[in-house]
Amino acid sequence: MNIDINFLGILIGAIMASSVPLILAASGELITERSGVLNLGVEGMMIIGAISGFALMVITDNLFLAIIGSMLSGLLLSFIFGFLTQSLLTNHVATGLALTIFGIGLSAMIGKDFVGIPGKEFPLLFVNLKEAIPLFGPIFFGHSIVFYFAFLLPFGTNYFLKKTKIGLIVRAVGDSPVSAANQGINVLLVRYCCILYGGAMCGLGGAYLSLIYTPQWIENMTAGRGWIALALVVFATWSPLKVLVGAIIFGGITILQLHMQAIGIRIPVQFLSALPYIMTIVVLVIISRDSRKIKLNTPTSLGQIFYKEK
Amino acid sequence: MNTKLKVSKISKIYPGCIANDNVSLNFESGKIYALLGENGAGKSTLVKILSGVINPDKGQIFLNDKLLKLTSPKDAKNNNIGMVFQHFNLFETLSVFENLSIDSEKNNYQLRILVNNILKKYNFKIDLDVPILNLSAGQKQKVEIVRCLIRNPKVLIMDEPTSVLTEQETEDLFLSLKKFSREGILIIYITHKLKEVLSLCDEVAVMRKGKVVSISRTVDEELSSLANKMIGESLNKIKKMTSHNLSGEQILSVSRLNFNSEDPYEVNLVDINFTLNKGECLGIAGISGNGQNELFQILSGETLSNNGSIKFRSKEISKLNPKERREYLMAFSPEDRISQAAVPSLKIYENVALNNFKTSNFFEKGLFNERKIKDHSKKILSNFSVNTDNVNLKSQFLSGGNLQKLILGRELITSPELLICFNPTWGLDVGAINYIHQTLVKINEQGKSIILISTDNDELLQLSDRISVINKGKLSKIMSAEEVNPEKLGLLMGGGLVD
Repeated sequence: MNIDINFLGILIGAIMASSVPLILAASGELITERSGVLNLGVEGMMIIGAISGFALMVITDNLFLAIIGSMLSGLLLSFIFGFLTQSLLTNHVATGLALTIFGIGLSAMIGKDFVGIPGKEFPLLFVNLKEAIPLFGPIFFGHSIVFYFAFLLPFGTNYFLKKTKIGLIVRAVGDSPVSAANQGINVLLVRYCCILYGGAMCGLGGAYLSLIYTPQWIENMTAGRGWIALALVVFATWSPLKVLVGAIIFGGITILQLHMQAIGIRIPVQFLSALPYIMTIVVLVIISRDSRKIKLNTPTSLGQIFYKEK
Repeated sequence: MNTKLKVSKISKIYPGCIANDNVSLNFESGKIYALLGENGAGKSTLVKILSGVINPDKGQIFLNDKLLKLTSPKDAKNNNIGMVFQHFNLFETLSVFENLSIDSEKNNYQLRILVNNILKKYNFKIDLDVPILNLSAGQKQKVEIVRCLIRNPKVLIMDEPTSVLTEQETEDLFLSLKKFSREGILIIYITHKLKEVLSLCDEVAVMRKGKVVSISRTVDEELSSLANKMIGESLNKIKKMTSHNLSGEQILSVSRLNFNSEDPYEVNLVDINFTLNKGECLGIAGISGNGQNELFQILSGETLSNNGSIKFRSKEISKLNPKERREYLMAFSPEDRISQAAVPSLKIYENVALNNFKTSNFFEKGLFNERKIKDHSKKILSNFSVNTDNVNLKSQFLSGGNLQKLILGRELITSPELLICFNPTWGLDVGAINYIHQTLVKINEQGKSIILISTDNDELLQLSDRISVINKGKLSKIMSAEEVNPEKLGLLMGGGLVD
């Protein structure tokens, strides 16, 4: 029995670890969208974060620099998006799609020389506690600092949006940029900040993959996680805590169906692979049914171009 | 303390339009000032300049003899100029308190005490913790006012505040404004409603085409004098000739029409029967929401009735869609100009092209015949005195009156035999109302027929030959206009008189 409990702990720990990139990217995108900006470039920013983090790690041999660099590169990419959509008033959807395609292409180009290079071991925290406590040890301990940051982030985001003045301003801008401008709020500044923050979080999510989760560079290694993060934000109706739930469910079913495939359960593999996507959406739709809350949480101006009257 | 606001030689020019032309005005606290003008006269531009939303091309603003530089809404706020916009500047999904706290430097605890004191003082009843989208228009306006009051304003500007209010809410607002004025706040009240100027304000400045044309005390004015100043010409009294060539030829007959809606918010129509003669105007009165919408939709073909018959020039048309009905020379002008009658983001000529007839040849082999449509649109603009000749202008930039003229023009230029219009003058200023009434009378005189569904009783009594009242989806007996008076209409509308 003892072994089973430990296995369960390891399994849950693995599930949580696999949901980290989703939580990071989705939390970042959530802030961006709450300010009324729809950035579909999440996948592109994640993959750029992944390659630049890995490349910096190889070049400088410094993991701290690699993490910071990955965030900066995600931020840089999102700045391009911000400049195009906010200053040049291009369409959010088209620009975001272009950003993703650009990011995937650029990362493959940069990444050519880094294929096959082994990653570096990332320092894990509380490793001794992991062994000491059955069940809870492997779940809560022995993870990287990014892991803990990711799991605190949705709570922080929730607090930021609900309790702080700046969070209130972000929501106000997302509700009605015109009213916000008439109230003397600098809409462009707010939206730029939210876009850049979202970019940095996506970059970090990508770096988690290439530096911590599977420490190596593989072309297109984000494998659609950016799109899942985007879907999580929408199906979680822009609520940070529901994003967390959705990310864990998605990670959980991904891991579980892999185990089911390994055990050889007689269910078509294709169906099992599709299961995380279906289940995540079903669960989020069910827990987000309250139409009143949807109305209150949805950024009314999402995806709309804003320009100032002169 | 006395507050003096001086606007000196303000000009603001937009491409193709002089919004403000050398406007100079003086205001002093203790009085309520009206800024009166038609839609598009330049009132809103002036208040946007005063509140720092837009910058003037020329001119200066002085507050207590100090030159103000208003480059952003913040500057106006910091100089104690408060502003309540016509279209509310509230964040619908945020709570009342969040809306108030967003631009306040006070901490939440102090702010709540302050707001509660203001609410108590002026007897406003608003729950601070509900989202704005749950409030009525009147309550939203109170939130806007409270937002201004938090900053101890010296000047309070109200831009067409009553356009969304009920009568009771309007009365409450006037009481509050008078109270503010007594407390030394300088109030500038922007409106196109003449009655409000006379009942509320002490002085009135009239604007027309960007210029101030008159400044006077309201005690020296009356409705007609103000109207004339606002329009710039004397209003022609509408005269309806009841004895014009009524041939007795029947053009439309509706019988045993029923409509049961699946939507619980729609009204069911019960056994609608009426006939309409050539050259006649049939008025349909009623309190809004008693089935007018449904009746209009069924007559226009937007929705089809469950049973019954509609015969137009003795052809059965009850199963035809609006386009097919238009081909039979019926024309429709819906109540909602912005979302039903026209597409605001399309250009004028594109909106005209939406009404496309087989005979008009707007499209050749599926392609847009742009020149033809534009020529046709220009003809509409000039024939129906729309205040622009630019057919490339987006329709959303037309004022309500001009948009309505465009819509009516689009419908009437094909000389239809029957026009069905629903609240054609809703929300318009007197000049535009007058023009539209004249147009309706004119088409009657040309022997064309009209069904006028309206909630404005004065309009109905003025224009109709016969009147019926709709109440809970049922039409009353059809009466000739002479036997109806406002009292009788009122009773029928309330369902108090059964015939």
